Amino acid sequence: MTTSIVNENYTTQEKLQILADAAKYDVACTSSGSSRRGKKGELGNAEACGICHSFAADGRCISLLKILMTNHCAYDCKYCINRSGNDVKRATFTPQEICELTVEFYKRNYIEGLFLSSGVLRNPTYTMEKMCETLLLLRTKYHFNGYIHVKTIPGASDELLAAAGYLADRISVNLELPTEDALRSLAPNKTMQNILNPMGKVQSTIASHRMAIGKSAYMERSRGNQFLNHSIFSDNSKNKFKEKLNAQNTDARLYGSFHSEKHLQKTASFPGENKFCKHALTWENACQLAPLDMSDLRRSFAPAGQSTQMIIGATGESDYTLLQTTQALYQGFDLKRVFYSAYIPLNDDTNLPQLGTPPPLLREHRLYQADWLLRFYGFQATELLSESQPNFNELLDPKCDWALRHLEHFPVEVETASYATLLRVPGIGPKSASRITYARKYGRLTFESLKKMGVVLKRAHYFITCGGKQMYHTPIEEAYITRQLIHVDTKDLWKMQHANETYSQMTLADFGIG
Amino acid sequence: MKVYTCKDRLTDIMTCIYDAWSEALRIGHNQIQLKKEPVFQQTLFDEYIHIDGDASRAEKVIRSIRRSISEEAYLNVYYATLCADEDSLQAIYNFLRVGFAVGSTVLGQYTNPHVMKLLEIRRRVSNEAHHFREFARFQSLDSKVYVCHLEPKNDVIMLVGNHFSDRMPSEHWMIIDDNRKTACVHVKDGENYLRYLTDEEFETLRQTESYEDEYTDMWKTFFHAISIEQRRNYICQRNLFPLWKRKHAVEFKRVQEGSPHSFPFLLH
Repeated sequence: MTTSIVNENYTTQEKLQILADAAKYDVACTSSGSSRRGKKGELGNAEACGICHSFAADGRCISLLKILMTNHCAYDCKYCINRSGNDVKRATFTPQEICELTVEFYKRNYIEGLFLSSGVLRNPTYTMEKMCETLLLLRTKYHFNGYIHVKTIPGASDELLAAAGYLADRISVNLELPTEDALRSLAPNKTMQNILNPMGKVQSTIASHRMAIGKSAYMERSRGNQFLNHSIFSDNSKNKFKEKLNAQNTDARLYGSFHSEKHLQKTASFPGENKFCKHALTWENACQLAPLDMSDLRRSFAPAGQSTQMIIGATGESDYTLLQTTQALYQGFDLKRVFYSAYIPLNDDTNLPQLGTPPPLLREHRLYQADWLLRFYGFQATELLSESQPNFNELLDPKCDWALRHLEHFPVEVETASYATLLRVPGIGPKSASRITYARKYGRLTFESLKKMGVVLKRAHYFITCGGKQMYHTPIEEAYITRQLIHVDTKDLWKMQHANETYSQMTLADFGIG
Repeated sequence: MKVYTCKDRLTDIMTCIYDAWSEALRIGHNQIQLKKEPVFQQTLFDEYIHIDGDASRAEKVIRSIRRSISEEAYLNVYYATLCADEDSLQAIYNFLRVGFAVGSTVLGQYTNPHVMKLLEIRRRVSNEAHHFREFARFQSLDSKVYVCHLEPKNDVIMLVGNHFSDRMPSEHWMIIDDNRKTACVHVKDGENYLRYLTDEEFETLRQTESYEDEYTDMWKTFFHAISIEQRRNYICQRNLFPLWKRKHAVEFKRVQEGSPHSFPFLLH
């Protein structure tokens, strides 16, 4: 351990303070994706929709007991508060403490489950072993049947990875930075290889497990996606992605993400599923590898899939790179979610934004909006952004922005348009689009009824006709609609950008007088 | 016009619909209104008819909704009966008029205002039930019994209770509706049941609210440690967790002045 301040005489409460504080920068606090009934004699179930239990002062939901097992860390990642070079209070939970906290909190309905991450204690394998021990104790001795999200430590051994998958609902490894270069400069102990490797292994194990129980190899996606043949999850698009991967020796820029050209040789081995075969963990040998025979537990392997997170604004990547990476992760690794975390400067370093730089919240918001467009609306990353327009418009959301660049598709007639076309109209979402398709079987639509169905007319009315008529006589002109749409959102945007500014009365002291 | 009134319970509501409907066949649906009791201000020229619950008539209504419309429609109607709105009874009646006329496709007819109204009510009730699933907090009485107090607008404690009977089947717990003085009680490994509390019982159970233990403190610690100062956003917090739903959430409870867990941001 490089840090010297080790005081292990903390009470559980003090440890909780330190280790929750250290874990708060991890974004993923979702408890969705896993549906499991409760059992007599056990504690807990899991709801597919996920349940938030409280909302913290920053407006983020508290769904899981999000803690680190320890904030001792052997690594020295420059963006991280727990880097080995930092002088912070360090503590370590024992497995029993974590189990008791989880179970007692759960019974009081404070939390939906456990989110367990950790700093690297001694080495990755040792840390992962401790984490698995905790989870095993929680599942067996404490009969906890609720949601568990576990972070894997890059570099831990395969059998521990397999064990974690059987014990947890969701398993994740943080990508942190979208390119090899950025990773090298900020996280010297991590490489793209040892982050993507476990991701690939987990993916192939999930896929083989799903097939063994008679489901499709790919994770379930939102219901609407089955009607979208252009979406990133459609067979069509998956095949294209595979073709690109196979062709990668001819043109590296195509799959836009993990690729600065000089690392092509090195990176060439990861995203392709075909490449996994040689080090893939099949279901059988994962069972054999796991330290205890996990099949005795009768649990499925990571039923809520895997996720990852990326830091926004610590390095100079464009939104285009981030979104391309996101799409590649969804298609190549079948991730359930990709999270973004606006970087908050915690350490003073020349490679990083200065201390006190406000976190890029609006940019994070735009990326999430785009992420939703990929997963629910059938957009592709290349439609939203391009080399020539690498960043999102600050003033308009990505969907409006796309619509304004493609006015040739509008206006759309809501009484006849297909589900996929309706989804592309700003102000119409999956819910209202499906309601429209149902409702028009039985009667004519009016703007009034569209509004009742949840269409946001203040945005949509420029782009739709209903029964051949527009709501008002508005021209389909880019300049005009842009002006109008920006006007609609100005107030909200201003609030978001200036969320944390405070004002005080000017005094003479400000000018050095008095 | 005839106004049929009844108490706010499933059997009473269904019986009221039965009687109103049979009268409507004689004088026409437009001559009928339904209201929940208490009726605060009566109109001068209308006739008010109070209906008491009757299991067999209620059963008939429920059976014909399930047969002639659909199971899904009955679920919607059931949720609407839990709604506290004054006009919810009339909304159910209007929906049934459309429903019996067109059959099982009625739920897709989003353009019909009566259908839309009922779906809105259902959505409101199920959203509230979901919120209290999230925000319910149990106080532990020596780790033997867990008690939770809620003050929902609509009568959702049984819906909330269903969720917990799957989640904590092997614990003793109860969820108390402080406004209606009802409790959803779950005995270890048993079924949930609803109990109308006497004043005495209610006063006793009320005291559990102040019961705190080490885990309550730890939860408060966790709650404060997990928020990021640089991102603080009380408006967003209030949008997602409105003040009126916080009444029984321990992390927001005010403590005596000067203690480490006072909550200055409630004032923002």
